[in-house]
Amino acid sequence: MDFVNSASFNRRGLLKAGAAAGVSSLVLPQVTWGASEKPVKIGMIDPRTGVYAPAGHNEIIGATMAVDEINKKGGILGRPVQLLVEDDNSLPGPAVSKAQKLVAEDKVNFLMGTVNSAASESLSQFALQHEMLFVDTGGHADDVTGSKCHWTTFRTCSTTWMLTAGDFKTLFSKFGKKWFFIVPDYAFGHALYKDYMVQLKKAGGEAVGHALAPLGTTDFSSYLIRARAAKPDVLICLQAGDDLVNLLKQAVQFGLDKQIAIAGALQEIEVLQALPKAALLGWWTFEWYWNQPGVPHVADFVTEVKKRSGGKVPTARTWFGYSTAHAIAMAANQAKSLDSLKVVKALEGMELPPEVALQPGKVHYRAEDHQMMANMFPGYVPKDASYPNLFKVADVIPSESIALSPAAAGCKMTYPS
Amino acid sequence: MLYSAFNGLVVGIFYALMALGLSLILGLNGVINFAHGTFMALGGYLAFTLEPYIGFWGGLVVAPLLAVVVGLAVERFLIRPLYGRDPLFSLLLTFGLAMIMQDVIRTIWGSIGQPFALPNYLNSPLSSSMFFLTGFRLVVIAITVLVTGALFAVLRYSRIGIRIRAGNADLETISSLGVNIFFLRAANFGIGIFLAGVAGILAAGQLGLSPTIGDSLIMPAFVAIIVGGVGSLMGSVLGGLIIGIASGLTAAFFPVAQEVVIYVIMAVVLVIRPRGLLGQEGLFE
Repeated sequence: MDFVNSASFNRRGLLKAGAAAGVSSLVLPQVTWGASEKPVKIGMIDPRTGVYAPAGHNEIIGATMAVDEINKKGGILGRPVQLLVEDDNSLPGPAVSKAQKLVAEDKVNFLMGTVNSAASESLSQFALQHEMLFVDTGGHADDVTGSKCHWTTFRTCSTTWMLTAGDFKTLFSKFGKKWFFIVPDYAFGHALYKDYMVQLKKAGGEAVGHALAPLGTTDFSSYLIRARAAKPDVLICLQAGDDLVNLLKQAVQFGLDKQIAIAGALQEIEVLQALPKAALLGWWTFEWYWNQPGVPHVADFVTEVKKRSGGKVPTARTWFGYSTAHAIAMAANQAKSLDSLKVVKALEGMELPPEVALQPGKVHYRAEDHQMMANMFPGYVPKDASYPNLFKVADVIPSESIALSPAAAGCKMTYPS
Repeated sequence: MLYSAFNGLVVGIFYALMALGLSLILGLNGVINFAHGTFMALGGYLAFTLEPYIGFWGGLVVAPLLAVVVGLAVERFLIRPLYGRDPLFSLLLTFGLAMIMQDVIRTIWGSIGQPFALPNYLNSPLSSSMFFLTGFRLVVIAITVLVTGALFAVLRYSRIGIRIRAGNADLETISSLGVNIFFLRAANFGIGIFLAGVAGILAAGQLGLSPTIGDSLIMPAFVAIIVGGVGSLMGSVLGGLIIGIASGLTAAFFPVAQEVVIYVIMAVVLVIRPRGLLGQEGLFE
């Protein structure tokens, strides 16, 4: 029996992915696995439903593609790799119960995934209890690799500090010192707000107000009324996903973009893609961008992802899923073991090769706090933006130059004896 | 403060529109339609797909009608067999149906939101001081008033409307008087779904069009019905307005509570007057 479909979805994605993998196996040489080979299982918990479904969707595409490539190159320790994807509904509660299922029933070897920061924090804790490697693909709150860092947890996406430091100076010099924040009322938003405030106060600016909006807010009108009444120089929108779509759409309808500059920290293709032309605006930070002329392997990666996603370009999320799955496999192969501690040690400081890093510089997981050091891509949405040219990268900033030191981030790593 | 109250009123009008369809179906069909939010999403997506061909206004009429076709099929094949059983059955059915339909939408249109755009002339504020009153929001108000007016006219003066109201009061009697109650229920369900479709398109005008667009809107609609009174359409409208204004006002003074305030109102109404403000006696008592 050949081992063909490397990624097994236990939900609807099965048919589509199966067909794609099946077709690709016809044209490309495939390593043939013996029937007796027990697969190495990577459990992936990411939203297919809920506010962050689009982000989760792309992380899953990236991870699936990586697992296919890993299997073509011999898998992990000569065994095929299987990706088991579970939906966390964009919420921490389901994330933990799905992780329990993956560990207890499916006996996965590693865990990865999440978009919601609160889910990342919960899974980080869960993985520590089970002494299992967990790589946070897309939950940004500082403390995952900061004050709540654990030896079992790594993170591929950036910290909220890096997201804010990526464009703070630009926003401050460009728009002025009076800021109003609309903050999503949970871990991610609070962290972003706190990080911007530290830098804003230091630079001599002031927050003329902030509004906390619950995750999943549909009507932002009352927050926008408060924002306008405060007369800020710039309105900082810290939402993500569907929430940010709703907020930007309504801010533009109220004509706020004509009176106040609109900007924020994290911006993603998944959000811009869902916005009508009138609402495509603002200064933001991307964590990865598909258009990086002259950077090796990026164009090939874009072509390959397009084949799998119905012509859609990869987003930062696709790269998170892709690089994370590759990093886990590389670390296990390097450690020649599936033992958590050994794989963790291999992953510490491990530099991603150019075909996985897909951006300039030394891309690696910092050994002291397990935080990925890649690049930030601050920039703006151009006036003539249309898919897929939705963003103009103004600068590529190495994360290491802006990240807090592990000590400043509050990470004290302890290992099992 | 006046801003906030008025802004809340505009939001409340939208809640009322959603609550109307829900309330209509709850009344005659006796179905707590948990799939209402998904029918809203369906309306929004159909309008988005049709927009390049027939424009925003064309979509606003045609898309809800297409949603009605789906709704009628659902009524005929899934809901009809459950009439006469415990309402719990149809509640569970529509709850499951909502999930299935959402996944179907996700499969057809993708989980990534779609850029549903409004015509430019609707997409800007009318004046800079009343900036929260956009052309689009006026349209929402106008459509709600129009639809509500038409609905009440139909119920008051047309034969089918009179029968729907009579059926609400006593389905068995009008059945024995020779009224085809199956047709009546189907027509009523269809009208309810039409309202859901219209509300969905209007929601997509100000929110991101994603498969889950109806999820967070459906709860305020339920609350509007409970506050206004089950069985009373006027009550649903009133309930929508009350919770809209209340949450608008709370946003001005105590923003953290603006979500919770509508549930507090619901709790208070349930304790003091369980039938709701304009509800029929006996349904919840």
